[in-house]
Amino acid sequence: MANKRSTYLMMWMVFVVICVFLFLRYASPKIFQVLMAKGHPMPTPSTLMMWYMIMGVLAGLVYATTSNQKFADFLSFLLPEHGSLIKSFLQKVLFVTFPLIIGWFVYSWSIPGAASPVELRIQHPTLPQNYEKQENPFRQKDAETQRRCVEEGKILFQTYCRPCHGSKADGNGPFANSFRLRPINFQDPGTIATVVDNYLFWRIKEGAPGLPSESTPWDSAMPAWKDDLKDDEIWKIIMGEYDTAGVMPRQREKLE
Amino acid sequence: MKRNIVILFLFTITILSPLLLSSKVLANNAVAHATEEESPGMELPQFEAGQAPEGESGATPEAAEEEELEVVQYRTFFGLDSRVVVWIVSELHLMFAAFVLGVPIFAVIVEIVGYKGGDVKYDKMAKEFTKLLSAAFATTASLGGLLAFCLFGLYPEFMSHMTNVFAPTMYIYALLFFGEAFTLYGYYYSWDILKGTAFRKWSHISLGVMLNLFGTSLMFLTNSWATYMMSPSGVSPATGRVLSLYHAFYNELWMPVNIHRLIANVCFGGFIVGAYAAVKFLGARTEEEKAHYDWMGYVGNFIGIGALIPLPFAGYWLGREVYSASPVMGNIMMGGAFSWTFIIQAILIGMLFIGANYYLWLGMGRIKGSERYTKFIKYLVFIIFACFAVWLTPHNLPLSGEERAMIGEQYHPFSKYFGVMAAKNAVVNMIILATFFSFLIYRRSNKGETVPFSEQGRAGKIGIFSALIFCLLMLVSYAVSLNFVELEANIKEFVKPLITSLYIQSFAVGLAAFLTFKNKGKLAQTMLFAVTACIAVLYFWYYGFEVMQKANLVLRYLSVTQVSIVMSCLIMNAVIDIFVFRKAKLVGGISWGKMPVRSQYALILLCIVIVILMGLMGFIRSGLRMDWHVYGILQDTSQWAYTPTLSFMGRVVGLIVALFLGLVAFVFWLANLGESKGKTATQ
Repeated sequence: MANKRSTYLMMWMVFVVICVFLFLRYASPKIFQVLMAKGHPMPTPSTLMMWYMIMGVLAGLVYATTSNQKFADFLSFLLPEHGSLIKSFLQKVLFVTFPLIIGWFVYSWSIPGAASPVELRIQHPTLPQNYEKQENPFRQKDAETQRRCVEEGKILFQTYCRPCHGSKADGNGPFANSFRLRPINFQDPGTIATVVDNYLFWRIKEGAPGLPSESTPWDSAMPAWKDDLKDDEIWKIIMGEYDTAGVMPRQREKLE
Repeated sequence: MKRNIVILFLFTITILSPLLLSSKVLANNAVAHATEEESPGMELPQFEAGQAPEGESGATPEAAEEEELEVVQYRTFFGLDSRVVVWIVSELHLMFAAFVLGVPIFAVIVEIVGYKGGDVKYDKMAKEFTKLLSAAFATTASLGGLLAFCLFGLYPEFMSHMTNVFAPTMYIYALLFFGEAFTLYGYYYSWDILKGTAFRKWSHISLGVMLNLFGTSLMFLTNSWATYMMSPSGVSPATGRVLSLYHAFYNELWMPVNIHRLIANVCFGGFIVGAYAAVKFLGARTEEEKAHYDWMGYVGNFIGIGALIPLPFAGYWLGREVYSASPVMGNIMMGGAFSWTFIIQAILIGMLFIGANYYLWLGMGRIKGSERYTKFIKYLVFIIFACFAVWLTPHNLPLSGEERAMIGEQYHPFSKYFGVMAAKNAVVNMIILATFFSFLIYRRSNKGETVPFSEQGRAGKIGIFSALIFCLLMLVSYAVSLNFVELEANIKEFVKPLITSLYIQSFAVGLAAFLTFKNKGKLAQTMLFAVTACIAVLYFWYYGFEVMQKANLVLRYLSVTQVSIVMSCLIMNAVIDIFVFRKAKLVGGISWGKMPVRSQYALILLCIVIVILMGLMGFIRSGLRMDWHVYGILQDTSQWAYTPTLSFMGRVVGLIVALFLGLVAFVFWLANLGESKGKTATQ
C-alpha cells in the first residue's frame, strides 16, 4: 500500500519549526521556572536557541528528502494550484513572510547595539601539575579524626566562605546578589562533585586572579586565600564544604 | 590526458601547501646539560632553559673542533614550526595506517562470505578493496619513514628517551613490517592464482588472516609508545631509568586505545571505501557499473556504521581510563581546555549517525515493499535529531552578561541536565538503538509473508537459544560480579539498582526468546526495545545524575551495565529478526543502481566527516599531555609547549584532512590507471 501523498508537507515542516521556536522562546522559560521553583523565568540562551533551531530546520530538510516522492511533494507546495483557496492563501503567506523573516534577521544582526561579549567558557581551568600530586592529609586518618576535621572545616567554611557561598553552600550568601557573577552553587552535581579535592585546594589557595577569561564560572570575584589560611585549614574547609553541600569529591578510580 | 595533468597539478599543490601555509618561526634550540655519568638508563635533563653556547666571533676552526658538542633538545624544520610538522606528518601517517589496517579486516570477511555463499561478486569486491589497500600501503610506509626521521631530527632528546625505553620493541616493529608487506602483496597478487579448489581458497584466506594478525600487532606495538607518553609507567619518574619494559609497554591506556583504534579503523576504512564507491557511481557510464558501485557503497556504509555502533562504548571506556590514570587529565579532557573539542566531536559523530541513517532511508527507495516501513522514518528523524540536540549541548554555555543575569546562575537547566555525561550516554545509546531500528526496517523492506517460527526447524531454535544463553551469560555474570566490587559500604549501595536493572533485562531477553518460540517474534522485538530504552536511556539518565554527585566511583559500573543492556538488546533482536524473516517471500528485490544522487553525496560527506573526526581526536589524544612529552616525566621545554587555540587546531586539522583526501584520491587514481574503461563486473 503506497503512503498517502501530502502536498502540504512543506507547511507541516514550517509549522513544526515554528512550534519548536515558540516552545524554546516562551514555554520552556515558564516550565523551568515552575519546575525549579524560581522567582523568575529561565530564558533559553541565544546560543542554544540558535543551535536547536538549526537542528529543527535540518531535521525537517532531512525528512523531506528521504525519498524522491517526498521531496517532490515537499516542493510541490510552491507550485500554483487552482481550486484550493487554503493552499493559495498559505502560499501567499509563505512568499511574503519568508523574505520578511530573512530581512528581520539581517536587520537585527546589523543594527548597532551594546551587549557584553559572549565568550566560550570552560568548566575546569587546567590544574597546575604541582597541585595534581597533592593529597588531603586528613582523608587517610581514622574516622574520628576525619569527623573532627569535617566539623572544624564547617566552622571555617561558615567563617570565611559563607558570606558569598551561603550557609548551605548553595551560592546564596548575603553578599551573593552584589556580584555580577553569582558565587557558585556547590550543591549542583556538575560543580565540585566532578573534581578531585585537590582541585578545590588550588582554587581556594589561588582564587580567581590570574585565570584565563574563559574560565567562568571559576573566574569570579573569589580572592586568593593563600596569605590568610594555612594549608591544613584549607583542607579542612574542603572537607566541611563537601559535607555542607551534601556531595562527594571525585574519587581516584582504580584501573581494572 | 588533460584531466590527468590537472590531477597531477592538484597533487603537487597538495604536497607543497603545508610549506606555504605553516607559520615561520625562528630556530631556538634549547640545550640540555649533557649527563657525564654513564648509566644503564638515561638521566633526564635539567629543565632550565639552556642557551646555545655563543660562538666566539672569529673563533678558529681548531677552537671550534676543541669545543665540546652540546646535546641538542630541539631543532626546527628549515625554520618552520617543528610541532606542526610532526603533527601533520604523524596524523597523515595514522590516517593511511588506519585505512591499511581497517580494510583487510573486512576484505577477508567479505571474501569468506563470498566463498561460503558461492556469490562471486563478494569475491570481486574484496579484491577491489585489496587493490586500494596495496596502493595505499606504500604511501603509509613512506609517511612512517618521514615521521620517524622528523621525530629523530626535530625532537632528538625526546626520541633518545623513547628509544632508551622502547628500543627492543622497535626492532620487533621493523620485523613485523616485513611480515605485513609480504602477506599484503602475497594476498593481493595470489588472488587469482589461489582459486579453484577449497584448499587453495582457504590458503588464500589464511594469508589474509595472517595479514590482519601482522597489521594488528604492528598497531598494538606502536600504540604502546603513544599511550606510554600519556600514562607512563615502568620508569623511574625521578631519573627516567627503565625499571620494567613490560609495564612501560603494557601501560594503563594501552588496551583501551588498542580496542578503540581497532574498531575505529574498520569504521574509517568502511566509510572511505563507501566514498570511493560513491565517486565511481557518480562517474559510472553504464547501468551495470552503477549497480556495482551502488552495492559497493552500500557495503561500505554497512561496514562503517556497523563499526560505528560499538565505537562510542570503546571511546567511553578509553575516556574512563584516562580519568583513572589521571583525574586531572580527565578534567582537562572533558571539562577543561579540551572540552570544546568534544562539542565539535559530538557534532561530527551526530553527522555520522544522521548521514548513515539518511543513506539507509534513501536506500529503501530502491526496494519494492519498503512503503510498509517508511512511516517509521519521521519518528526516527525526530528521535535521532532530538538526541543529537542533547548530545551537543555543552555543560558550560557561552553566555553574555545580560543572559547570565536573566538566568540568575551559571547553568541554564538545559545545559545542566543535558550537558553532563549521564545525559550524553543516555542519548548516544538511544541514537544507537534508533540506528539499529533503521537497519531492521531496511532489512525487512524486501521481505513479504513470513514463515511461522515453529516451522523454522532446528536452526531457528538453536539460533535463538544460543543468543539467549550468550546474552544471559553477559548480563547475569556481570550482575553477579557487581556483588563483589570493593567499595565502601555507603558507596556500594549505589550498585544495587544496577544489579536489579541487569536482572530485569535478563528477564526481558528471556521473555523475548519465549515469545519468539510462540510465533510472536515481532512483539518480542518491540517489548525488548521498549524495556531497553526505559532502563538504559530513561532510568540511567536520571540515575547517572544520582551517582555522579554521590558516588562517582560507581559511574564505571553504570556505564558497563548500560552498554551490556543495550548490546543484549541489539544481539537478541538481530537474531530474532534473522529467524523471523528466514525463508520469507521476497517482495520485489533490490534495484541496485536506482539511487538518488544525493545519497552518494551523503557517502562522500560521511568519509569527510570521519577523516575530520580522526584528525580532531588525534589532536585531543596528543594534546592532553599539555606541556609534557611524557606526562609527568619528560617536560616539553620547546617554544611550542603550549596548547594551540581551537581556531589554529581547526586550520591545521583542516589542512591535514585536505592533504589526506588529496593523497587518497591520487593513490586511488593511480590504482585504477591500469583498468580499461567500462570493464566493471556484471552483477
